[in-house]
Amino acid sequence: MTDELGALTTIFTEFYYWITVVLMFLIHVGFCMYEVGASRYKHHQHTLMKNTILIPLVTVTWFLFGWWIYWAFPTGPGLAPSIMNGSDALITDDSAFSAKYYLATSQLMAVNLGDHISGVFWAAFLLFSWTAASIVSGAVIERITTFAFGILAIAIGSVFWTIDAAWGWHFDGWMLKLLGYHDAYASGVIHAIAGGFALGILAVLGPRIGKFTSSGEPRNIGPRNPWLVVIGLFLIYTGFWGFYAACNIPIFNLGPEYGMEGVTYFTATNIYVTPTTLSGITFNFLMSLSGGLLAGYVISKGDPFWTYSSGLAGIICASAGNDLYHPIQSMIIGMIGVVIAYKMHYWVERKFKIDDAVGAVAVHGYAGFVGLVICGFVLNGYPSSGYSVGAMWDGATYASINPLGMFIGAIIMFFVLGMIPGYIIAKILHGMGKLRIPREAEIAGLDYEIMEAAKDDEKSVASATR
Amino acid sequence: MATVTNWIDHLSASEVQGAIYPGVGSEGILVILGFIIWIGWHVITAKQESEKLAKLARQRRGPNDWKSNITDG
Repeated sequence: MTDELGALTTIFTEFYYWITVVLMFLIHVGFCMYEVGASRYKHHQHTLMKNTILIPLVTVTWFLFGWWIYWAFPTGPGLAPSIMNGSDALITDDSAFSAKYYLATSQLMAVNLGDHISGVFWAAFLLFSWTAASIVSGAVIERITTFAFGILAIAIGSVFWTIDAAWGWHFDGWMLKLLGYHDAYASGVIHAIAGGFALGILAVLGPRIGKFTSSGEPRNIGPRNPWLVVIGLFLIYTGFWGFYAACNIPIFNLGPEYGMEGVTYFTATNIYVTPTTLSGITFNFLMSLSGGLLAGYVISKGDPFWTYSSGLAGIICASAGNDLYHPIQSMIIGMIGVVIAYKMHYWVERKFKIDDAVGAVAVHGYAGFVGLVICGFVLNGYPSSGYSVGAMWDGATYASINPLGMFIGAIIMFFVLGMIPGYIIAKILHGMGKLRIPREAEIAGLDYEIMEAAKDDEKSVASATR
Repeated sequence: MATVTNWIDHLSASEVQGAIYPGVGSEGILVILGFIIWIGWHVITAKQESEKLAKLARQRRGPNDWKSNITDG
């Protein structure tokens, strides 16, 4: 920090990520409003607290071990060698981005005059972790215990999404090399995995009391406060801007980075350190949101909950390739994702008796999965990295983006790291008797005692004369 | 359809091509598709809305009938 231009670039980058964290907080305000609005009155305060408690739990575990996992696991381990040290072991040596610098005991994991990036980058990723857990939170309202949700939130927020990010979002990730995986704004690494994880839990948790008739027909348990739900979704859209900006690197000189002699090329990049522009992703964010809203309005015949949810699903579906798509491609991809997600939600509900209270599996899981598959076709032949280009399965170089690789990637995200772990952990919690609240508590309402105490207070105050 | 197949080749060219989206040159077709989708949306939703409103109008509800539909939450 002795050269003014270098210092400006450093401080700008630090501030850039800091601002994205602040914006992404709105996602969580939105999720809280959305879930409180979706749940019935007798459960709504516990629903709010369940969602809230993921914040400190995921934050603390992210500090203790989550961040380390992201930097240690890009190689698999054992699947493809790191471009930093040529080894396929966990990256814990003296490489430039070794996980050893992100152990909780590292001096870089605190205020450090020699480092202006670790804390804000850690925080930007932490907000992604909260988002993964929040996605799961909505699907399981009104019948999961806060204890079980806390464990599941840590699992998805600090372990499984972190592994998928190391594999498919890190510039050194093995999925880029072997499969040509490309997922710029996290269709798979956040949304498909969280949706799949939620589905795994729901298969064990079971439906809310009253959701299905004795003959298995689903009943609609509509949102208690549709206005609160849609404003919550609108806030999630707002926070999502921060998410998109945080997925980018604001400024990078790719000339020396790619080993291009005598070339200077400053640009914004995506998480893979390949070029894009904030301007371009702004077009695509808005057009995929709009495509989602338009498709959702038609397919749900103007239902507010599904229309607003579809706006989000549209962005999520197009996110995998929104660093490169033309805006009209983005809009169309968003629309396709919504139609498939909506239809799949009701099909899965009927066929498998899955009660997803807020459509989280559809909006995030199915839309994310479809987005990855579509990306494989639309971006077929694009390089997954700037560091090298090679054949699929090679491992020493980076495969180009291709439909098969993206489909395998979608399977890994939704099923391997999402649904299967969610199902197993839920089964363990269920076996311990800790997963679901007692039937009597669900009928009475989780907030019964809070409401009873409030009523007693009201009577006592009303009868007071001084 | 890939506009870029190698970032090093693309960025070290004497003149770097700015447009990097898939299908550079097909903008005209994309815009036509955009118009079709936009106008088509209006046609479909106008019909949906008219059917919904006509069905509601046929029921001839009173000004306070909606109050009996307020749920307990």
